[in-house]
Amino acid sequence: MRLSWTGRIFMTLSGLVLLLPILVVAASALNGGRTMLFPPQDPTLSRFTEFFVSEPIWRTALGNSVIIALGSSALGVLFAWPAAYFLWKKASGLSKVIAGMLALPFAVPPIVFGVGLGFMWAFSIGLGTLWAGILSHAALFAALPLVTISIGLQSIDRAHLDAAATMGATEAVTFRTIILPQTIPYTISGFFFAMVLSFNEFIVMFFVSSSSYATVTLQIFNSLRNGFTPTMAVAAITFIAVSVTAFSLVARFGDLPRLMGADQSRT
Amino acid sequence: MSLSAAAPDLSQVPEPDRPREAALGVKLGMLALLAVLCLVPFLFVLTISFGHKIEGGGWSFGFETTQYKRFFLGATWPETFQDLYLQKLGYSLWFAAIGSLVAVMLAFPFTYYLTRLGKRGQTVWLVVLLSSLSLSEVFIVMGWDILLSARSGLPALLDGIGFTGLMKDLGWFQWFRDIGLASPRAFKFKTSGFATVLCMSYLVWPYAVILLYPALSRLDPALIEAARTMGARPRKVISTVVLPSVRLPLFGAALLLFVFLLGTYVTVSVFADPSQHTLAVSIYDSVRGSTLNAPFGAAQSVILLITAGLFLFAGQTLSKAGGK
Repeated sequence: MRLSWTGRIFMTLSGLVLLLPILVVAASALNGGRTMLFPPQDPTLSRFTEFFVSEPIWRTALGNSVIIALGSSALGVLFAWPAAYFLWKKASGLSKVIAGMLALPFAVPPIVFGVGLGFMWAFSIGLGTLWAGILSHAALFAALPLVTISIGLQSIDRAHLDAAATMGATEAVTFRTIILPQTIPYTISGFFFAMVLSFNEFIVMFFVSSSSYATVTLQIFNSLRNGFTPTMAVAAITFIAVSVTAFSLVARFGDLPRLMGADQSRT
Repeated sequence: MSLSAAAPDLSQVPEPDRPREAALGVKLGMLALLAVLCLVPFLFVLTISFGHKIEGGGWSFGFETTQYKRFFLGATWPETFQDLYLQKLGYSLWFAAIGSLVAVMLAFPFTYYLTRLGKRGQTVWLVVLLSSLSLSEVFIVMGWDILLSARSGLPALLDGIGFTGLMKDLGWFQWFRDIGLASPRAFKFKTSGFATVLCMSYLVWPYAVILLYPALSRLDPALIEAARTMGARPRKVISTVVLPSVRLPLFGAALLLFVFLLGTYVTVSVFADPSQHTLAVSIYDSVRGSTLNAPFGAAQSVILLITAGLFLFAGQTLSKAGGK
């Protein structure tokens, strides 16, 4: 369908405003001096070396971010899979309670969940450890794979399941040969959603890490007090690159409009 | 806490009942695990909010309502009444309401146009939107901070193109000073309510598009075409066909984003004037920041949580009533 001129202009303008702060941050990374200026003065790429190679603070922070993002999203998928599967098989009371509990942390203001997790880990030995960070993010973001996997399960053609059942396949065989292969793209999408959001999350990680380690977002916030430096902008570029790559992969191997709830009959 | 709770020992279950019993075992195991991870943190917040503060930053269990009294009546009650924390709650609601409304109003036409594109175009836009949506609040604040900064941002641009001079010549500059958007010499957007709301709406605008997307993409194009063939102007079609059919999703999206914005911390702490700081900033200060009073931080969290819950509940009731 052709878009009207007003439509095109409005979309272009929205896109520009959306990109504006991102572009400004990205361009500031080129600054030669220590201050964030726009347009950049004395452009150089040495901030990239600082971020990835020479400054241990940023390197450690990036390592922590990667560990937490990958660990928590993998764990989140592990939480979400049985929950989505039970809900799909038979939406009994217990399955609904499980799914509701997974969705709860995502539905409330994150600062409240962060404060609560901080208290809870302080009572166990978890406060300030990486594994507590991983578990916290897994609980916070498991709602995302829960949604994508549920969409995937709903898209399975019931005729396939009936055919398998009439040919005498057990539940385990049906699961392995029909359900699992058809839902893998949705599982991977859920994994990516959780990973990207964990990578970018700030406030929950702030309360859970209790200043004993830093992720990149925490490190940036700590540095904010001493003013911006162009090295921080490099972190931003890295993050945008990760997001765009992850979501492009989702779009390439999955059906992004469908995942976002578009109507399939009219594309 | 361990994952082994989710995998019950199958060998002890008698043969015929194994699948069903195993499924129940897994369910109960998951329930226990998720209760610890997803529910217990909130119980801690609730319990500690009734705890007793010990001088020097510590606290002990107890049952006192000191912190709630302090929130609603002020620390010096009953001698004097202070509504400092009610004001903070007020600013939380105010900023979140305007931020979410602006975001939804700008997202609606965008999403409408988006769903009229081909599948390829939609996919590309969705990748851009999702990338922007997932971008950390810290980065977004950093970007707007540069854009609004006095030295290299919007104020410098306005000065450079002569807008500041024009406003001064026309005598309108005083008006910008009155609403807090200018210093005696130039425009100044930090700190201001304008910058806070701008950054908040930017923050949730991609969410708004994603939330409106399913409803608008399911809108039957035949309806719109029918209205057009009968001679309705595009504006008329939007107001009589499109808007009524997505009334509920619009309301739902605004409500969800409003609740989400209630908890914004970084934006408010950077862009809002300290006199307009919200409950989220105050929670942060109490739990980890300058004032160190865990029970008070917990009590404020409970109040924020209840506020969010009330709005979600009211929203659900209203939309049920409206859907009939």
